[in-house]
Amino acid sequence: MKRPAPPIIAGKVPTFAVLGKSDEALGQDARRHGLALTVEELRRIAGGLRRDPTIVEVHAFDAQWSEHCSYKSSRAFLSRLPTEGPNVVVGPGEDAGIVHLGEWKGERYGIVVAHESHNHPSQVVPFEGAATGIGGIVRDVLCMGARVIAVADPLRFGPLDDPHCRYVAQSVVDGIAAYGNAIGVPNIGGDVYFHEGFRDNCLVNVVALGLVKERDIIHSRAPANADGWDLVLVGKATDRSGFGGASFSSLVLDEDDAEANKGAVQVPDPFLKNVLMRATYRAFDVIAEERISVGLKDLGAGGIMGCTAELVAAGGFGATIDLDRCPTSQPDLPPAVLAVGETQERLAWVVPPDFTPRLLAIYNDEYTLPEIAQGARAAVIGRVHTERAYVMRWHGEEVMRVPIDFLTAGIRYERPYELPKRTLPDLTSWLRSIEPNEKGKSPLFQHVVEPYFSSENGSDAPSLEQQLARVLAHRDVCSRRAIFERFDSVVRGSTSIAAGVGDAGVIAPLPGAPFGVALALGGNPRYGAIDPQLAGEFAVREAVENVAAAGAHPMALTDCLNFGNPQEKRQLGEFVAAVDGIARAARAIDVPFISGNVSLYNEAADGGAIPASPIVACIGVLHDLSKVCTPVLKRVGSPLYRLAIPNFGLGGSVFAEIAEMPGPLPLPTASLDAVRAEIAALLTAHARGLVLAAHDISDGGLLVALAEMAFPTQEHSAIGIELSVSPVLDAFSETGGFIVEAAEGDAFEDACVERGAVLHLRDESRRKTGADMIATTVGLQTADARRVLVERIGRTIDGPIFAIPAIEAMSLRTLYEAWSSPLRDFYGDAA
Amino acid sequence: MTATLRKASMRVGVLVFPGTNSEDETQRACEAVGLFTDLIHWTASLQDVRRYDALILPGGFAYEDRVRAGAIAAHDHLIDAVRQAASDGKPVLGICNGAQILIETGLVPGFDDARHPQAAFAPNAPGGRFLCRHVTMKLNAPPARCIFTQSMQAGALIPAWHSNREGRLSASPAVLDRIVSGDHGVFVYADERGTCTPEAVPNGSRLGIAGMTNVAGNVLALMPHPERDAWTFMHMDAAPERARGDTNAALTPSGGIALFEGLAAALHR
Repeated sequence: MKRPAPPIIAGKVPTFAVLGKSDEALGQDARRHGLALTVEELRRIAGGLRRDPTIVEVHAFDAQWSEHCSYKSSRAFLSRLPTEGPNVVVGPGEDAGIVHLGEWKGERYGIVVAHESHNHPSQVVPFEGAATGIGGIVRDVLCMGARVIAVADPLRFGPLDDPHCRYVAQSVVDGIAAYGNAIGVPNIGGDVYFHEGFRDNCLVNVVALGLVKERDIIHSRAPANADGWDLVLVGKATDRSGFGGASFSSLVLDEDDAEANKGAVQVPDPFLKNVLMRATYRAFDVIAEERISVGLKDLGAGGIMGCTAELVAAGGFGATIDLDRCPTSQPDLPPAVLAVGETQERLAWVVPPDFTPRLLAIYNDEYTLPEIAQGARAAVIGRVHTERAYVMRWHGEEVMRVPIDFLTAGIRYERPYELPKRTLPDLTSWLRSIEPNEKGKSPLFQHVVEPYFSSENGSDAPSLEQQLARVLAHRDVCSRRAIFERFDSVVRGSTSIAAGVGDAGVIAPLPGAPFGVALALGGNPRYGAIDPQLAGEFAVREAVENVAAAGAHPMALTDCLNFGNPQEKRQLGEFVAAVDGIARAARAIDVPFISGNVSLYNEAADGGAIPASPIVACIGVLHDLSKVCTPVLKRVGSPLYRLAIPNFGLGGSVFAEIAEMPGPLPLPTASLDAVRAEIAALLTAHARGLVLAAHDISDGGLLVALAEMAFPTQEHSAIGIELSVSPVLDAFSETGGFIVEAAEGDAFEDACVERGAVLHLRDESRRKTGADMIATTVGLQTADARRVLVERIGRTIDGPIFAIPAIEAMSLRTLYEAWSSPLRDFYGDAA
Repeated sequence: MTATLRKASMRVGVLVFPGTNSEDETQRACEAVGLFTDLIHWTASLQDVRRYDALILPGGFAYEDRVRAGAIAAHDHLIDAVRQAASDGKPVLGICNGAQILIETGLVPGFDDARHPQAAFAPNAPGGRFLCRHVTMKLNAPPARCIFTQSMQAGALIPAWHSNREGRLSASPAVLDRIVSGDHGVFVYADERGTCTPEAVPNGSRLGIAGMTNVAGNVLALMPHPERDAWTFMHMDAAPERARGDTNAALTPSGGIALFEGLAAALHR
């Protein structure tokens, strides 16, 4: 059993009375203090301490036992994720994971990956929320001893016809730009979706990458011999910012401080962060050169307390912190604010005392931190000790003394959940239910088949060009260039594929070395709203396929799981189903998760959850940067292939939404083993230099993917497309898989067949009617849904034309205008 | 070998102010053309800075761009050394934020030895927003007009990235007249084929100017970043097809490196 902490005689710091109080009174007190702790949890704290906690202690537990710090509702399920592999250097558990990059000049290098959310702050104060999101993730990567080399943002906004959603969507982008651009880390990608379900709760996730020599990795823990070492706090002077609004006001009321009357948000300072990063890099160089052993961790949730307690607990130690030594920029901060306030731009080191003066000199003299921002500096604030207690002193007295494991181990819940019921029709039976002779009645016929014949039979159905233009202009399909251009994607001079140019962003992390690192995301809310488990599978698949399209080998995954209230059985069930989905896909494709994050309580104003949002990032490695690949068509006259698993379910597709097709519709599911084979086939072709351009088939479907490959990224490029087949059901279904512009058709086919793909030859000669066209794709579908098909579907031609057999050629310029204008109008020239 | 030894004697200093963020890639581009290059920290002494044969002010947000871009850094103590280098005829290059600092010091266009701004890099139009876009700079003056371009072909095209919030050259009609008559607008924006069109100007810059020199031609303020497109892997899609699959070709300097080759040529003239 844990030793009880000695009672603290309340002096300047009051206690929070638990013992002997009724549940009702205790609940009221907790709410008045803005605590998220439940009555049961408060009793557990008092029971563990065998006394009432002080006000500082209760806020410390409030932070440390929060969902954010302890994953109390989610941890039980996260163990389902595969986290091991030969290339995993550091798996989940520290501030960031690390995957092996390669060897260069006798040194092993790793890529550091962290993935976080900043959803709630971004909904309330979008500019600062999004900016501090970048700030926090950058520190997570930095504190592994790494240079920060890239960031990317998955963003989910509500519909843009809502004024508040417009404000959020604008300000989040502004915040990311203001912070990320200033610190000098390229933003190399991300994705953006708009969905009704994010009207009251946007998602702002962020992924960051770092580069580290594997022997210079710094861990988020005090080293083995750290007894008596210094705890050094570095960065911005602590202020009132970042202490939860409600709890702050109740606290100050208690302390009768009339002036501080409202809570504050975290305040980002990218200018200070820029200098702080560079000074920290300098410290890394000294530490690596002299083989000094240290620990380093960023200050996030729980402030000084959360960071230093976890640092020393992870090393098997305790610590004593002297809050009076903590640099502040405001006088008379209450001890609870000093202890757990989340002032931004801070790090904490554990260092041997003989190194401390040099560390302080790097920050305070060489990099002049105190001149960069008021009160900013490095300062010793405490000491590591073997006694496993976490102690905080303030104004000469102990205001906190708790068994450190009791504090940092957090708590676990096994909450009940209810898995979502699957109500989706099986694709094959759905396809057979569409009677070909119902032409004109079936929405499928009306929207998918009639456009091919509209000119012949005088039908007023929209033309295929009109249909395609509408899909291209859809909020989830149209060009993101206007957003990506707001972010500096090329600072550091390492970018090979900038944001928005390719399916993945690609950088050369190590100057002079031939390595490329690709980063891409997946997580489609249209699937999340229908089937959380499949949404999880699709998220992994999309991220991995994006990386493979760029020519990189998928090496590691991270996730940010954005869900609703875990105390609601169904909402927790969605989380569990999605974790199963991403776990299944990751195992099948054989890529491990090396870090991740869970964000719960994302709810609409009416209490409903957001669409299940498992957002997955994939990190890929190119060992030869010269094989990097974009979707941009390269030559006239090259063959175009579809490499995909035939499944033409339109469920969750942009087309189904635009065409208002009645549901429920089948989703384009695929055997995950086949997905693995499909990716292997593409990578084999890449390795043989047979891929000139590649693009994944996702939002909008096949014709959208093809059109995007022909859209000029610059003003040059007037290569068009001539299809030799007429896509019907598959024109707009979001099947996954790839379009490939091949260097040599036969060799490309051979490479795919070697990896298990089946060469498909479509007989177009005898097709006469829409019924035949449907029959062709139904036949294709039902042939074998577990097989990867490689099918030659056309070729590239000279001129900005998109030609499909038997119908009038479409103008790529018209389609480009439809695709490029919607967000340009919103983010570009709008006020 | 002789060339390397000769180059070895020339040293370039890259100034780093608090908030600078492009010092590393700027240093790499200089080293790629054989120039020994040091980063000079804001705590350095004037004496330290005077040792260099050329100075570069790289991109970033020096002093947080407080007041306006470049305004505070233009009054940093190290600027005295920059002024000295400029009047000594040494090459001085400002890229992006460095260009904003140079225009704030008055060193460009530098009419009548002014020590105050005579023009400005104003917020981009339309919208006044940060814009990160690939651009092409075209040499728009006789190559001999500027020390960095002497070794280039007339009308040379240099790829670069426009990556700033304030890059739109703005000045009074009288100053613009002098900029034109004195051929100060060394680089203008053009499309990839070298045609100057309004669409090729990303930010509404007057006269389409991307880079401006001083009267003597040894100081160049360049808004786009050539060092961010200075290796083949940074523009594989635009590279000759034979570079695909050729590792060495991908890692070879090309494109924007031309500007730094111009600097090296100037130093070895």
